[in-house]
Amino acid sequence: MSLLCAALWGQDAALKDTFLQAKALWATQGDREGATTRFDTVVAGLAPKAVGLDTEWFQVLCESYNWLAVLDDRSAQNRPRAQVRLQALIDLNPDFDLDRALTSQRLAAVFDRLKGEKYALVKLTYAPEGGRLLVDGRPGTPLPKKYLPFGTHKLTYTRPGHATAEITLDLGPRDAKSADFKLTRTASTLTLYVHPSDVEVLLDGQSLGFAIGKAGPDAAPMALPLGLRPEDLSAPFIIPELPAGKHRLELRAPCFRTRTLELGADLATPLADHTLEPIRMEPSKGTLSVSSVWPGGELFLAGQSRGLLPVMDIPVCSGPYDLLVRFPSGGFSQQITVEEGQSVRLEVRPKPRLAFLGLEAGDFTGRARFLAQLETLGDRLQQLVYLPARPDEPPQEALVRLKASRDTELVLIARPVPDQVIHRVELSLATLDGEEERLLVKPLEQDPLDSLVARLNAVPRLQQPGLGLSILDVPGEPGPWVLAASESALKAGLQTGKPLLAVQGKPVPTVLELRQLLEATKGPVSLSQGGATAILPIQTEALEVSLGSPALSYPAVLAQLRLHYAGAKSDDANLVKLNLALVLMQFRRYDKAIELLRDARLSTTRGVSQGTIDYHTGRCFLHLGTSYQSEAGQAFRQALKYPQSTLLGPDGPLVAPLARQALEDLK
Amino acid sequence: MFVLSPRFRFPAALLCALPVMAQAQDGDLAERLYHSGERAYASKAYKEALDAWNQLVQTSPRSEFAPLALLRLARHHLEIERKPEAAMPYLDRLRSEYLKSPEAAEGMLLRGLLLTKQARRPAELKDAMADFNRILDLFPDAPAGGEARLHLGRAWRDQGQWGRALHLFIDSFRLHPGSPAAPGAMLEAAETLDLMGDLPGCLRMLQRLRTEAPQSPEAQEAIWRMAVRVKHRLQKPPLRNEGPWPAGRVKWLKTPTLLAFAPDGDLLIFQNDLDRTFRLHGSDLTPQGPTAPGTRALAVAPTGAVWMLSKNGLIREDTPAAQPLGALGAITGAALDGWGNLWVADAKTPALTLFPPEGGSRAVASPAANALAPLATGGVVIAADADRKLLFLDPDGQPRLVVPYGKDLPAPFKAVTALATDGAGQVAALVEGGDFGEGVVILGPDGAVLRQATFKSLAISGRITSLAFDRSGGLILCDRRNDLLIRLN
Repeated sequence: MSLLCAALWGQDAALKDTFLQAKALWATQGDREGATTRFDTVVAGLAPKAVGLDTEWFQVLCESYNWLAVLDDRSAQNRPRAQVRLQALIDLNPDFDLDRALTSQRLAAVFDRLKGEKYALVKLTYAPEGGRLLVDGRPGTPLPKKYLPFGTHKLTYTRPGHATAEITLDLGPRDAKSADFKLTRTASTLTLYVHPSDVEVLLDGQSLGFAIGKAGPDAAPMALPLGLRPEDLSAPFIIPELPAGKHRLELRAPCFRTRTLELGADLATPLADHTLEPIRMEPSKGTLSVSSVWPGGELFLAGQSRGLLPVMDIPVCSGPYDLLVRFPSGGFSQQITVEEGQSVRLEVRPKPRLAFLGLEAGDFTGRARFLAQLETLGDRLQQLVYLPARPDEPPQEALVRLKASRDTELVLIARPVPDQVIHRVELSLATLDGEEERLLVKPLEQDPLDSLVARLNAVPRLQQPGLGLSILDVPGEPGPWVLAASESALKAGLQTGKPLLAVQGKPVPTVLELRQLLEATKGPVSLSQGGATAILPIQTEALEVSLGSPALSYPAVLAQLRLHYAGAKSDDANLVKLNLALVLMQFRRYDKAIELLRDARLSTTRGVSQGTIDYHTGRCFLHLGTSYQSEAGQAFRQALKYPQSTLLGPDGPLVAPLARQALEDLK
Repeated sequence: MFVLSPRFRFPAALLCALPVMAQAQDGDLAERLYHSGERAYASKAYKEALDAWNQLVQTSPRSEFAPLALLRLARHHLEIERKPEAAMPYLDRLRSEYLKSPEAAEGMLLRGLLLTKQARRPAELKDAMADFNRILDLFPDAPAGGEARLHLGRAWRDQGQWGRALHLFIDSFRLHPGSPAAPGAMLEAAETLDLMGDLPGCLRMLQRLRTEAPQSPEAQEAIWRMAVRVKHRLQKPPLRNEGPWPAGRVKWLKTPTLLAFAPDGDLLIFQNDLDRTFRLHGSDLTPQGPTAPGTRALAVAPTGAVWMLSKNGLIREDTPAAQPLGALGAITGAALDGWGNLWVADAKTPALTLFPPEGGSRAVASPAANALAPLATGGVVIAADADRKLLFLDPDGQPRLVVPYGKDLPAPFKAVTALATDGAGQVAALVEGGDFGEGVVILGPDGAVLRQATFKSLAISGRITSLAFDRSGGLILCDRRNDLLIRLN
């Protein structure tokens, strides 16, 4: 009884106190009424949930009935109620044995009589013990004797590593039958205790389930030597049938190092039950830092928010993760793997989101295959975050929803092209503002989306590394021939009209090879023209985005540039604006382009620079019609102030003669 | 409201549906005819293909395949039959009746190109330019846009509007980078920049062409165009006699008197003792064209055919009969311009004589010319010994630049024996007399002397009668006395 009390400690404290007070009142003070009241309280609290009670509380409930029957029996006034208490106890648990020291013989006889009216006694033996008993399919405690209601019952006894045994009994009034279970061993068993619990157990690579729950007090001898409490171990996980031979046991849990145990063949043969030493899993963590120059990003790891960026050195369980950063516009997603003890640092930039709205109606051969390819398009996109279509949402409704929510930057709709037979599908890719591109694909091709994927993965360059030199591949010269050099390059000792004989100490025969070398180099570059070596820093040279290129998808370029702009500053931001305007000009959105160009200011005066902006501003005004001719003229005159400004890139054609001609044409 | 009785409803519905059904059948027939023509064309059964497409155009003029068929018919007459006049009616119909069809852009491009070829002077380019402009206005996203801009730019350039031409060339490759016209547009842009005096811009553009379209024929052109410009105009090394050329070959010719370069880079040599022109390809010398005794000038057609001029007339490789050249008896030079006009200089005629391709001739006011060579701008450069001037004439024969003999030289010369140009703006003159004496002078497109040397300083003692630029920045001299060629570098 004292052990039971200890076990109850920590559960429902008030009910437990009431139970203990009730017993004390009777034992020490003989307060029958006080005790009855408290036992009634316990019964009232437990009886409604008797079916779901655990073993200890179930026992408390049964004992309370026993106490109440005894207390009622001692009062003439309440004696009739004692029988009711006993009946309730029998209905609750016919196997409960009254406390014969507490209960009078008369009352015990009433109890036995009441039980005999509905139940027959079955005596059971189990060989070996420690198995699981099922009575009519319901689990029950494998007791040496059980009272079962009259009628036919199927008793099943199982034990890991043994063949199951079944016995069927027909029980009637005053019957007393016996059931003897003798199980035949069929395999060895292996029992594991793991700290902590909730660990996946794999045998030879096959998952057997999870070691969950908590071990009982009987695990104390195993837990204590490891400095653990029994409840720190999982409930025993039993591998019921260990096949013959050697095996590999693997234990996996998030945030813990995977443990692998090699099991010898002696565990399987001869047949026996084995219990392994408790297995302690070692924690496995790394750290993660995510930052971005773009504002407003929120980090999500495996779907859980981990706060606004920057997030620095947060401890993270080792393992693979789907990392997502949501920005006010655009998003970033990447699958990362955090290794134990390692720091993962990411500098992220938002990628435009591409929402697939669906494949419009129209049946054609290969539709299902084509749709499946569209639905998995996201796996192939490196520069966009792909949002699959919502099931059962028509494309046009999805478009309306997304236009309202602005939860995407790009939308993709697939439309079968009506013909005698549909053999082509039109893919329409557009921004939410309507800049659209259409692509015809043949759904029966091996990879009809290949071209779209290539275009969506292409990123236009806005800058290139350079040395402030104009160089040519002149036939007969041993290296790139210097046509012109910036003031700083000349000061560093570089001479025009001579070839570059060595770059970084190695010969670089062509302009192309020099450009490739610069792409791969960081820091200053040493150049030799035969005399002293000149050291030049690598500069970034502005470029115009390539227009009309079949390699680029321009709605996607617009979306990328718009996000790029949000994270850019000063000249970088203005260069993005210029390029946004150029792409808008390609879509003939001249008014929008002018809005961008009007605010753009580049501090540079050579290459793609302020004169370039002014020239394009003039061209936009020309496209708006004759009423904007004066504005166009003004822009061209501005462009003439920058005689070194170019189109395309640092070695592109000068803007000035084009602006001069445009002014001439305006006259 | 009029309501049909149920009895008449079905026939009426059928009647209403008939035109639609007929149209659908018409469309099916047109498609089948078009594909039938395609199949026949692929197997070179041209007549069958043309019949099918003509039938399609006649029977199903409303079909979407009609403009396609018209385009195929026009292309056939242009590319296979080589009869532009037969192609033109199809293109006219495509332009007038199917202006909204996607094929109209390509049709107008072809039409514009045909009109360009038919033009004999810049003013006749207007109709072609209208077609090109219409493509840009009506089909701004059409693939033909790149080519339309390129040809429109060429038309403006031929009219001397270099700024407009440059703008169009740049837009052609900037807005249509994947177009087949892009390399050509870059090459034209480079040449136009040079014409406008922007040599660095020209060289950068040639480099861009080589970087962005390295496999294109235009990139191969860019290589030598860049090489000669850098050599003559920027590096300007002193001329050096490399001796007989090809190396070590002496006394291997029979009185060579005239030199010219063919469009493919081979050297053409007229050997006076053999009365024939020969082509030097690598080290192989093979006769080209008929015999032409007394030839005094060579001209080379864009096709590579050689034209030989003497007092007996013009003998063309590509035409059997000799063409009389009137009273021209002292021919000193000849050149073909981009319009097919033959410019002839005669030492005893105080004008240049122009022979248009359609026949006849006309005089272009000019001093008597002792030598003549074509310019890339479409005009010619002539040497007038009487005035002691070199005159750079525009396509209309008007002097664009006048360079006095001896300008930029330590001493003047008296006469020019021969002129040569390299197609990249350089002019070489074979000079003699005066304090300068015999030698060569290389001038830039602005008339400035770039390189010069006397034969004395070069230790050349033969009788040099002609010269030609090679594509590596060298100069080939023709020594009739020693029966050899000499290379200066």
